[in-house]
Amino acid sequence: MIRRMVQVCRLMIALALLLSAGCATVHPWDRDLLAEKKMSFIPSPMLLAVDEHIYFSKEASTGGMDAGGGGCGCN
Amino acid sequence: MRVQLESGKRSSPLREMLHTAALGLLLVPATAKAGDPTDRVDVTSLLYGEQGRTQVIEPVVRFTHLWADGQSVSAQLAVDVITGASPTGALPSGVVQTRTSASGRVITSAAGAIPMAPFQDHRVAFDGEWQKPFSRIFTSTVGGHFSREKDYQSLGVNAKLSTDLMNRLVTITIGGGINHDSVFPVGGTPIGLSDGIVVHSGSNSKEVKNVLLGGSRILTRRWMMSVNGSQTFESGYLTEPYKVISLMNPVTGAPVGQLTDKRPSTRNRSSVLLSSVYHLNDDVLYTSYRYYWDTWSVRSHTIDIKYRRDLDTDTYLEPLVRYYRQTAASFFTVGLEQGAPLPDFATSDYRLGRLQTITLGATYGTRFEDIQGDWTLRAQYMRQFGDSSPPNAIGIQRNFDLAPPVNIVAVVIGYSFGY
Repeated sequence: MIRRMVQVCRLMIALALLLSAGCATVHPWDRDLLAEKKMSFIPSPMLLAVDEHIYFSKEASTGGMDAGGGGCGCN
Repeated sequence: MRVQLESGKRSSPLREMLHTAALGLLLVPATAKAGDPTDRVDVTSLLYGEQGRTQVIEPVVRFTHLWADGQSVSAQLAVDVITGASPTGALPSGVVQTRTSASGRVITSAAGAIPMAPFQDHRVAFDGEWQKPFSRIFTSTVGGHFSREKDYQSLGVNAKLSTDLMNRLVTITIGGGINHDSVFPVGGTPIGLSDGIVVHSGSNSKEVKNVLLGGSRILTRRWMMSVNGSQTFESGYLTEPYKVISLMNPVTGAPVGQLTDKRPSTRNRSSVLLSSVYHLNDDVLYTSYRYYWDTWSVRSHTIDIKYRRDLDTDTYLEPLVRYYRQTAASFFTVGLEQGAPLPDFATSDYRLGRLQTITLGATYGTRFEDIQGDWTLRAQYMRQFGDSSPPNAIGIQRNFDLAPPVNIVAVVIGYSFGY
């Protein structure tokens, strides 16, 4: 269990370093577009929940989007 | 500045633009203020249909109360009504097959067709969530869940903590959840890999624990990316009690009997999700890629792309495409040979076999002049492809399509309003 968590953390750190490398600072006064509601990783949480429920019941994979979530006997 | 922008009640494009810019300066979530709605209602209704298989109707209603300091509490109720049929896992025989379901119904399958079992169920689920920002850079979220269906119950809690760093360029999130589920199959719990002898009629427990670590970063004025890693540890009764595996004649491949499904009692799932949101001139491009692996040897790749096009200030259209591909679980088999030693675990559930899913669809969002609130309509078409001719199919099984494509249509109608 610990080994798998370390594996995931290593992969994430590598990706995080890639994300942060060479990026210029975006000043607060340049964040007008980013402040729009549609500029979100999950702009429609209710629709996402519906999709996650469908895919959870039809495929063998799940996870990645959020912590928690309700159980279901559909898989 | 906030006081100046919010003191008046009149709204104008300039005022809204300045407000947006101010939010951009602070880059904090919008909070309730004087004149803003402090309560919100979100309603969705899912209409889901698989060709010749399962049909689902799922209405969901969510109430959210928002305080001026950004704190919010929400409660959600969902009801699933499920009818139709699903594959039993058994193989086609070339002749009409009959079997008796757990509830005593006699089920007939056409020659050459994948045997199906009819079922009906309903599920009621309650979810609650409390979100509270504190110390300017932290946001905590605590949630709970309860759901119940005819043969399954789930009770869970989850928590999450996010913090903003580097002048809010970076957000780090850590979270986790615990679910205690119970499985109580109709007709009792059968012994795995048996001919269906019932062991007991009580419930079987299943524990699900998950942890999530995520980071997001603003890369440019138009672009932000995130990476999420999650781990889920499942233990207990993970078998699907209604699925079966055919026993095949080792020469002809003809089904001569069937055994019940049996899966390992632990499963550790891992996934890494990379997401990007990019603002073009007016449109927004959402992309994500997830790599998933687990201790049942399932590996999968998921690519999801959405493109939001604003048609005017109140209306948008968002086409979407998703591609999913998974490998088979190590104990997946189309059938077992009669007389051969039984494996420790086996399943013929096509969802644990090699599988691909393609999804095409679009979301349309709009507002009406005389009706308060936002309307959303999403329509999706999904097609699942399994392994039609798996390598261990023998004899007559090579003549059949052992994983016929599944065609699915899902429509979601959503309505949200504040008051």
